Amino acid sequence: MGDKVSIIYQAKSIRTMNPHLPHATHIAVRDGHILAVGTEQDIDGWQEAWGPLELNADFAERSLLPGFIEGHSHMMEGMFWDYHYIGFYDREGPDGTVWPGLKSIDEVVAKLKEIQAARSDKDTPLLAWGFDPIYFTDRRMNAADLDAVSMDCAVIVLHASLHILNANNFVMDAADVKGADNSEFIRRDENGQPTGEFLGQLGYYMAMRTTGINLLAIASSPETLVNFANVARQTGVTTATDLVNPMPEGSEKPMRDAVDADDFPMRLVVAFQGNSKEPEEAVARMQELQESNSDKLRFSIIKMVADGSIQGFSARLKWPHYYNGAENGLWYIEPERLGDYLKAYTKAGMQVHVHTNGDECTEVALDKIEEALREHPWPDHRHTLQHCQMATRSHFKRMKALGVGVNLFSNHLYYWGDAHINITMGPERAARLDDAGGALAEGVPLAIHSDAPVTALAPLFTAWCAVNRLSSGGVTLGNGTQNITVEQALYAITMGAAYSLKMENEVGSLETGKRADIAILAEDPIEVGAQGLKDISVIGTMVGGHVHLNQGRD
Amino acid sequence: MQAAQKVPLTIISGFLGSGKTSLLNHLLTQTGPSNGGRRITALVNDFGALNIDAELIAEKHGNQIALANGCVCCSIGDDLMRTFIEVMQQDPLPDHIIIEASGVAEPTRIAGFAAVDPQMRLDGIVTLVDAAAHHIHSKDPHLADNYAKQIAAAHLLLISKTDLADEKQRAALSDELRASYPGVPLAEITHGKMPINVVLGLNTDSEIPHPQGDIEHDFVQWAGHLSDMPRAELIAKLETLRPHVLRAKGVLRDSEGAYVLHLAGGRISTEAYARDASGHFVIIGKPQMPDAAALAKLFTRSAAA
Ligand SMILES: [Zn+2]
Ligand SMILES: [Zn+2]
Repeated sequence: MGDKVSIIYQAKSIRTMNPHLPHATHIAVRDGHILAVGTEQDIDGWQEAWGPLELNADFAERSLLPGFIEGHSHMMEGMFWDYHYIGFYDREGPDGTVWPGLKSIDEVVAKLKEIQAARSDKDTPLLAWGFDPIYFTDRRMNAADLDAVSMDCAVIVLHASLHILNANNFVMDAADVKGADNSEFIRRDENGQPTGEFLGQLGYYMAMRTTGINLLAIASSPETLVNFANVARQTGVTTATDLVNPMPEGSEKPMRDAVDADDFPMRLVVAFQGNSKEPEEAVARMQELQESNSDKLRFSIIKMVADGSIQGFSARLKWPHYYNGAENGLWYIEPERLGDYLKAYTKAGMQVHVHTNGDECTEVALDKIEEALREHPWPDHRHTLQHCQMATRSHFKRMKALGVGVNLFSNHLYYWGDAHINITMGPERAARLDDAGGALAEGVPLAIHSDAPVTALAPLFTAWCAVNRLSSGGVTLGNGTQNITVEQALYAITMGAAYSLKMENEVGSLETGKRADIAILAEDPIEVGAQGLKDISVIGTMVGGHVHLNQGRD
Repeated sequence: MQAAQKVPLTIISGFLGSGKTSLLNHLLTQTGPSNGGRRITALVNDFGALNIDAELIAEKHGNQIALANGCVCCSIGDDLMRTFIEVMQQDPLPDHIIIEASGVAEPTRIAGFAAVDPQMRLDGIVTLVDAAAHHIHSKDPHLADNYAKQIAAAHLLLISKTDLADEKQRAALSDELRASYPGVPLAEITHGKMPINVVLGLNTDSEIPHPQGDIEHDFVQWAGHLSDMPRAELIAKLETLRPHVLRAKGVLRDSEGAYVLHLAGGRISTEAYARDASGHFVIIGKPQMPDAAALAKLFTRSAAA
């Protein structure tokens, strides 16, 4: 203890998420941990035994919250920043550059032409990402648009949903797909000609096989991881997840080196891809991975994917399935095998996060969790359903009874809310989409997420979505019972997410003994209130006592 | 430079327990020097279930097992795309890729990989139907739609587990499948045993086909030597043999040049061929197919034409 100096940060307001002291003005930090929280006088007494406190007033006009926790994101977010962003909304890259949103297909094509003109090596593939056709209802992008960018190199545009991509004729010729009689993944015009749009992972496969770019290798590289951390950091995130990673033999070492570096501005929780090996081998591999755990890197959860996505019509829904008559979606694993894995992991004491989108899938996942728990009772397993977008109140009741938590995909309300009302679910069922209010009312532990890079990573925006339930078309989803309060939403992106990762005793609130992980905001979100939540400027973060400031914020 | 032929992809589809692994095991052990030395790469969910003889394993590393007969098994580990990327980076490429699809996979979606890959073509979808469990699978509340799709996608339907089903069940299933899919060849299979050429077709161009004869399990084979018939005419003649023809392969020539013809996966396709065409032409079909004399007559070009 002796005379080692602790720093006491003064703030305009501190929202602690600690029920015993929800609001404070000062926080003392020592050795990467929180020594004390309160008023200056409250903290003063620590000096006697613990040595001098040095006052830092850098954040005297700021509001401090526990660092945000993104409980469902993918490090792949960091990969795309090596390519060109052409999305509808402004988006900020890892270096702080803001990429302006493009508001029409013509603007996108013009931007791509500009990029192509500026490239020194014009024959290499040109990749762009973040394109979202849902905002361009007059027409769809086609191969001719991209031929206008270049006919002599591959031009590929990845959609924001990551489920679709567009390619030019150069790519289609190289892949020799025009005569393919299997058309489920190739969109065709009324004359049967491919439009240049490819659905699902086959588009990605084609892109890789024709360009030679191994996106899978890039997605798991240390550079991508650093980009990801920097994007997350700018939004106030101090702990993020890579929510499914097959972790091939030997991949943990480079990952640990990258994350443990002092300037890596975040903690990372990696979810091991649960069915990447047979159950027993997978359990053994997970145990091996856990030997690489550190203060900043955690291999603590297992991810299983059970169905597809609603907007991709691949989620498994109960009758009558899709509003527009599309046939029911896909199982990504045999329900029986899902059950086998859940049993093996439950027996081994390993927490499982199951991706379920449709209500049929949610129900089957709960059946399988229940079967596993009958065989291997475990009171605090905390298995969690991820996305779980179409859960009913009865599903939430069952989750409560089984001790299952939920992490809802609240950003969907904004990005695809209109599509869910008009195309996929119809108005009645769309009302209960990502029902955070229902989950809390039934007593289910709640977190909310972005699934970055599927939607933009920004917990305050995710909180805004869950509070307001407003679609991008300006429609409110539901009748008010599904909304949560600002306080509940802030809890969900801090303590709620921490609980879902079994880290609630380390991070998620600001109180004595916990890690000094802090989001530094320009304004107090409680005072700003529901409407302005998403627009609060993030000044920076503190991770284990290290401050990381964003460029040019005030 | 010789343009490489596209690698054929065969998809083995069917529910958990329908006998996919037994069939795959059988195919992997049937290939070898006596059989054209076809180097198969098999993509499987679980090595363990394959139960490969220890003395057959040449090398094992990561998610791959190399067999002494030149075949390779790769575990998919739920990442089919990654697995295909790895397989198609092999040098040389395999002679044939077989994938043991998961019990809930939609085989037509897997077939898409072959459609978009510049170096792969779909050879066919083989769906196994478990005779003893058909009445359960076809009514499964969560999986019945999936089950129907797997059967509908098949280019070859194999009824398995016939030893576990009673005679009435068996007959009813055959009748039902025949009525629903009259154009799809159907056979019964026990313990995974099925001639490799029925499932995978003939391997190399030079493989000397057997003369006309029964190749067990309800299939017959006819081989001939074709002179320079225009490919459109040949294709039209082949079409008349449906639905009794399962597959055909020829290394042929016409006025446009040398080419390889495949009838596989329910469709007839041709690929340019860079070497001299041997003129070999082989058909595998059901016994209901015209006899050897009739086929010889059909595929001889009439002088008047
Ligand atoms: Zn997911
Ligand atoms: Zn995800």
